[in-house]
Amino acid sequence: MGSSEGLTEWVRRAARGETSAYSELYRRTRPMVARLVAGFAPLDPDEVEDVIQETFVRAFKALPRLKEAGAFEAWLLSIARNRARTRLERKASTRRLEDDVADPEPETVPHIPEALQLERDIEVVRRLIAELPEGEEKRTVQLFYIEGELSAREIAEKLGVGKSAVTMRLERFRSRIKRELLRRVLAGRWE
Amino acid sequence: MRHLDADAMSALARREPEAVAYFREHLARPCDTCEDFLATHAGPNLLDGQVDAALLAAGPVAQKAKEAPLDEVGFARVRRGMKGSRPDIRRWGLAAGAIAACLLAVVVVPRMRAEDPAVQAGTEWDGIKGPGGSIDLELAVVARGANGELRRLDPQSAVAESDVLLLRYHATEAGTALLFQQRAGQGPELLGRFPLEAGMHDLQGPQGLAGVSLEGESGPVTLWLVGSAGRQEPTPDTVREVLVGGSAARERSRLAVTRFDVSVRSGQNRR
Ligand SMILES: [Zn+2]
Repeated sequence: MGSSEGLTEWVRRAARGETSAYSELYRRTRPMVARLVAGFAPLDPDEVEDVIQETFVRAFKALPRLKEAGAFEAWLLSIARNRARTRLERKASTRRLEDDVADPEPETVPHIPEALQLERDIEVVRRLIAELPEGEEKRTVQLFYIEGELSAREIAEKLGVGKSAVTMRLERFRSRIKRELLRRVLAGRWE
Repeated sequence: MRHLDADAMSALARREPEAVAYFREHLARPCDTCEDFLATHAGPNLLDGQVDAALLAAGPVAQKAKEAPLDEVGFARVRRGMKGSRPDIRRWGLAAGAIAACLLAVVVVPRMRAEDPAVQAGTEWDGIKGPGGSIDLELAVVARGANGELRRLDPQSAVAESDVLLLRYHATEAGTALLFQQRAGQGPELLGRFPLEAGMHDLQGPQGLAGVSLEGESGPVTLWLVGSAGRQEPTPDTVREVLVGGSAARERSRLAVTRFDVSVRSGQNRR
């Protein structure tokens, strides 16, 4: 399984300039980008849509320079996260307008063995959720990442907590996953 | 105790064995300091994207995405956003095509008669957007002089009767193009049918680069390159109607119509 399955050939065709390949890539990856951006509860629906659009415009413009077609999905999601964070920080006035999180350079992205580790990564996610103590954080993470239907905004509504609080919980949990995956990288899983 | 910071990250990026060994152990247990750092700093490499891919794959969205319908409105917005980014064919100049033009023999396109069966081949065109979708086409022109010298032309350039015009296009899709030439006050004449490839290419037929001879011409001459996507091929008559029908007809047709005007200097090299 894995959503990147079959994307690689479309990435190559898009790099050759085929518009139909761009539309197929958009069709298949927009739901993921939209889901990622839906975790940033303080962004209103218009801002979410802007972030999604900006993500794809940036990614598609740079796509012909992408060194590893198989890295497309991870690269696209990195761009989406950067765009959403930049937007959020500007909204909170903690980032100046001209200041920008740099996107990963398409020329230097590393090779990622396609879907090879995804099953194990999903297991890491499930295990770390299971290990969370029962409570609001666990509920939030389950609603957003496992059930995967409600946006962070809707979860805030449902649980009766602030929008920023929901996003902070999601980010805190995500940083645990990131720590665990970084540890696995250091243990040489991609070498 | 050491925690992740910018120095540690660059040591890890350089794969310094001591840093790798230390953090491999340190990160095996939850650490608020390191997790805070990771949450607020991007990277290394594509780790953020891989983390999000794993998180999304734990839910239903990745599977659902496979059958997701295309969000046409969203994609149209993205395409508009990308507009400024297309390779600028006008800046193509003499770089890529010129070398090819010197090495390859240029085959001057003979004027085709409309009833030629090779020209009448396409009949499936119904003017409606099909599975091949629509196509965008841009055109650049280089003149090869009698001495073999190449020069890039701007639209409305003056050219000599002895010049041969070479065409380079940028197409967003593979497809087919019909090339027409039109003199002032006359209808467009078909020069030929050419395959289009997606991307930037020289216009060429089976024998080589297509060159348009200006011999016997004088005054304004217009070249029309009309593209259609995929296997849909309009007949030359259909295209001719679109060309003489003005911009409204062009917009309705979903054909990609590009034109390039030159002015052939009279009184030179006249025979
Ligand atoms: Zn630490």
